Amino acid sequence: MLLEAESVSRAFGGFLALSEATLGVERGEIVGLIGPNGAGKSTFFNCIAGDLPPTGGRIVFDGVDVTAAPAEEHARRGIGRTFQVPATFEDMTILENVMVGAFLRHHRTRDAHAKAMEVLRLTGLEAQAQQRARSLGTPGRKRLEIARVMATEPKLLLLDEALAGLTPSEIQRAIELVRRIHATGMTIVIVEHIMEVILTLAERVLVFNQGRTIAQGKPQDVVNDPKVIEAYLGHHHRRRRARKAEP
Amino acid sequence: MRLAWGPIALWAALLLFPLAVSVSDSAAFLDDVGTTLILAAIGASAWNIVGGYAGQVSVGHAIFFGSGAYVTLLVYELWELPPLLGLPLAMIVAVLFAVAIGLPSFRLTGHYFSMATIAVAELVRLVVSNWPLLGEAIGIQGPATPRGWWDLIFRSSVPYYYIDLAVLAFVLALTYAMERSRFGYYLRAIRAGERAARSLGVPVLRTKLMAFMLSAALTAVAGALYSFKLGFVNPESGIGILVSVQMIIIAALGGAGTLYGPLIGALLLIPLQSATNTIWGGGGSGLTFIIYGGIILLLARFEPGGLIELWRRVGAATFARPKRGAADAA
Amino acid sequence: MILLQVAVGGLLLGAVYALFASGLTLIWGMMNFINFAHGEFVMLGMYVALVITWIHGGPEAFVPAATAALFLLGVGVYFGLIKHVTRGPMLAQILSTFGLALLLRYSAFAYFKPDFRTLPESWLSGTLNVGGIYLQNSKLVAGVVALLLTIGMHLLLTRSALGSRLLAVSEDRNAAMLMGIRPDRMQALAWGLSAASAGIAGALLAIGFPFSPEVGATFALTAFVVVAFGGFGSVPGAAIAGLIIGLVDQISAYKLGPIYKDVVVYGLFVAILWVRPQGLFGKV
Repeated sequence: MLLEAESVSRAFGGFLALSEATLGVERGEIVGLIGPNGAGKSTFFNCIAGDLPPTGGRIVFDGVDVTAAPAEEHARRGIGRTFQVPATFEDMTILENVMVGAFLRHHRTRDAHAKAMEVLRLTGLEAQAQQRARSLGTPGRKRLEIARVMATEPKLLLLDEALAGLTPSEIQRAIELVRRIHATGMTIVIVEHIMEVILTLAERVLVFNQGRTIAQGKPQDVVNDPKVIEAYLGHHHRRRRARKAEP
Repeated sequence: MRLAWGPIALWAALLLFPLAVSVSDSAAFLDDVGTTLILAAIGASAWNIVGGYAGQVSVGHAIFFGSGAYVTLLVYELWELPPLLGLPLAMIVAVLFAVAIGLPSFRLTGHYFSMATIAVAELVRLVVSNWPLLGEAIGIQGPATPRGWWDLIFRSSVPYYYIDLAVLAFVLALTYAMERSRFGYYLRAIRAGERAARSLGVPVLRTKLMAFMLSAALTAVAGALYSFKLGFVNPESGIGILVSVQMIIIAALGGAGTLYGPLIGALLLIPLQSATNTIWGGGGSGLTFIIYGGIILLLARFEPGGLIELWRRVGAATFARPKRGAADAA
Repeated sequence: MILLQVAVGGLLLGAVYALFASGLTLIWGMMNFINFAHGEFVMLGMYVALVITWIHGGPEAFVPAATAALFLLGVGVYFGLIKHVTRGPMLAQILSTFGLALLLRYSAFAYFKPDFRTLPESWLSGTLNVGGIYLQNSKLVAGVVALLLTIGMHLLLTRSALGSRLLAVSEDRNAAMLMGIRPDRMQALAWGLSAASAGIAGALLAIGFPFSPEVGATFALTAFVVVAFGGFGSVPGAAIAGLIIGLVDQISAYKLGPIYKDVVVYGLFVAILWVRPQGLFGKV
């Protein structure tokens, strides 16, 4: 078990954003986190990433308890993440962005440079290495973020809505990239809104609603789970479907 | 490097400047301006490390400059030692201040840090201005006549000019090496996006602190060189707010976070400052501040990257062809 | 007895500190932005009072005049400068108001000359004897008015529709936009309020204390200390902290002299930074 999150909770003052979320991720899996807005999946994601310390529960990664560790420590241990709103280093070049990631494992500039170029080749950004990050559009920035975090040679990759805001063809290319990365043996946890993406990519899905996890399983099973449908579409819709099913 | 001829010409000009002006009647005056320019460039380049590259805007660097100026002259006043020997101690004092300010405030947002630097600078200025040991408002003096070359007392500005130029070259070489190193990349990442930097394993607190300590030590050197040349230091010239403001504006005008930005800023501002002082007299210091305030405001509002960034943008628009990236193509 | 008098004086001064610190903390709470020119806004309020006396106005005109002048300045500064730098690099943000501070301070220097001035006598002159404690009318009025205005600001922010709109923008700018609130307008309003609070405080201080263009720097630092102590973003915190700092200020001045009182106050800031940066009621 690469990642074990047990009963993770996070309260903000009096408000419980996340309550007792539990997830185990095996090496090489792709797990999806879905749920309506404000359901707690981003909070859970950020706890695993180290951005938010949980107020309850434990997170164990690769045998090490990282519950209270800061984000830098998570990264060093091998947890890499992208951001929902891309946080690329705008005034630095694409190559320099990725080198910052590469420097985690390669302290000498020459080695970091080589590693960064390798990652740029793999992610198709090689031709734009000398361009400033701010010259990229959203899909380019998202791709750059993935390249940058890949340069840190993570064991677990956390993708935060990496496909939001992309056109259908851009989504296809992004899915291909994620598949390529997965094929190298990477373990991936992906937060996503777009159902088709989850169904195509995830082997297993964890559904959040109102701070709790309400379902877990294969994508096709979870999607047909009445609890999940109700969470997304509301109680009203479930009753309409039930009435429709009557003769 | 694209602009290799630029730096080479620049350094050649700087090296030859005293020779070139020696034929003029105002040679002594020009040498003095030149030395002031180089000194200003050193201070601004030192500030640049933490304020420009790391993006942590210190508004109280006068503390470190003052440490350099006061501690070196103090070892003379107390123990009759050459001020030069006080330099290592001055750097240590500066670094201790940096740790005392940086350790608590770097955990918080950037504004806290800036506020802390202002508050501590003012605190130190008050204490120094009222401490008999440090000469209160009058300050301390160095050796009046040299007992040997090590006292670094020269009649002409020219020896100071070349000593300071050597130190500037060292500071810039250090900055150049830092730029290309892991440390330099991490500093720039912190400036560009702290949260993202953390997520990539950058040890943010430690890196900021190291940049601040390095900057403080080098600024102390600038302060020491200043006191060697002037032969004395007082609260206004050593720890006054003009000291901090000047470092910031020179670095920012040329281009904070670039290698040559501070030097370029100094090349523009110091002759300008000398000219206004000559025309309107020393009482123009109020006017100087008004102009400085205006320049800082305009920089912040329109071109925070300074002249180098302006040059890049104008140059890029004029000369480059627009490229389409493969990652953006649908 | 003297100590009690000093203490009361400290509380009255503290009320004025509370007023202008509330303005500073409001901006922080709304925009995560520190106005380094806030001290100069206080200073300008003092000079507004001076100009009023030049045209033979009395102290009753000070508050309205300072309010109008500084509110407009605050709004102007927002639209002309702040709006353009908030989403940019930290360097631009910090330099923007820092440059403004220098500009304002030394322009006042040039126009009004560096000498310390006091306002001419008015119906507010004189001293009151309250049970053996001597209070200058001017300082008493200043303190009371400041306290009322500070409480007024707090009520405005927490109890009025306008206040909730301001708070909505500070919580979530995008959500506020979706609700039909114009964040730009709200932030400009906040800047106007903040500047006005500083200006009024300055005008009130001018009645009782001598002033010069350089005092802005001291007020800025005092505001920082009060806001840090009270907690960044908390107006009630600024109010309570203001009173406490006013007390500390005056008692230190009495016991240690004017120079060391500044050392105590700034030293307090450093201590807060080290020990409890969130202050009494703030979030870091």
